[in-house]
Amino acid sequence: MKRADVLLISIVLIAALAFLVPRWLSNDADKGGPGKELKANITVDGKLFKTITLTKEEQTIEVRTERGYNILKVYDYGVEMFDADCPDKVCLGFGFITLPKQTIVCLPHRVLVEIASAAGEDEVDGYVQ
Amino acid sequence: MAMSSSESATALKRTVIIAIFAAVAVVLSIVEAQIPLAGVGLMPGAKLGFANIMILTCIYFLRGRDVLVLVILKTLLTAFLLGTLSSLLFSLFGSLFSFIVMFALVKLGRRKFSVIGISIAGGLAHNTGQLLAASFVFNSTSIFYYLPVLLITGIITGIAVGFAVRYVVDSLSKISLFEEFLNGPGH
Repeated sequence: MKRADVLLISIVLIAALAFLVPRWLSNDADKGGPGKELKANITVDGKLFKTITLTKEEQTIEVRTERGYNILKVYDYGVEMFDADCPDKVCLGFGFITLPKQTIVCLPHRVLVEIASAAGEDEVDGYVQ
Repeated sequence: MAMSSSESATALKRTVIIAIFAAVAVVLSIVEAQIPLAGVGLMPGAKLGFANIMILTCIYFLRGRDVLVLVILKTLLTAFLLGTLSSLLFSLFGSLFSFIVMFALVKLGRRKFSVIGISIAGGLAHNTGQLLAASFVFNSTSIFYYLPVLLITGIITGIAVGFAVRYVVDSLSKISLFEEFLNGPGH
């Protein structure tokens, strides 16, 4: 390895950690809980499909488009991709997400689920379900 | 325009090398698709990028347009065999971006960067390119949430790929098929 290699590695590592460390530190504070449920936006093809509230109670949301279906499950103040008929099933691998800015993506179906940041609730309040 | 026999022999050798490299790259892609990376907390769909070994090796031996053919062949064949046609555009975008970065570094920054650094840069470019393509499709930058983790894993796999390329280039240099391509960029 040469000096430029080491320089490249260090710069990228520092940049990545600069984003990751604050995220690790603020994990618990941003989590949804009783009385402060988070919201998540579901978009299809870049257009808003539905805004959901991440409640403790279980709810099932079905996103059905001409490309196929995705079934989301909300529980314990988080959301998870429960089932989908996309070819690669990558979206099922994202697991259960609970933190603002976390996303679930289904590329084949162009479906994006993103938990809204607690402070940025206003921008989603304008939509009517 | 007729080619002399030595020219056509060289052209034939190039074609053979591209075909062999494409076959190996596809096999590597299929093998790495069987490794469940999502289980270790990585972004699902993330790959180790072993096919990059063949692309980077090819950059060291052949011309840019030959590598471009290899990149497109490998991406198309992998998409057909793994049935991931729907994400073909994303892998193509990532692969092309990665190829451009590595090619530019081999041509321009060879004295500063070793093969390891070039392979890391290629891996990072691949990850960034795919996320860029996804953010265009979804019209949202939220997918970049996964970029920091992908950067770190990109460094690790980039180092592994770089070492592999060093060994592959050294070994292939001893084979007569590659002899006349040795006066390429070197390593």
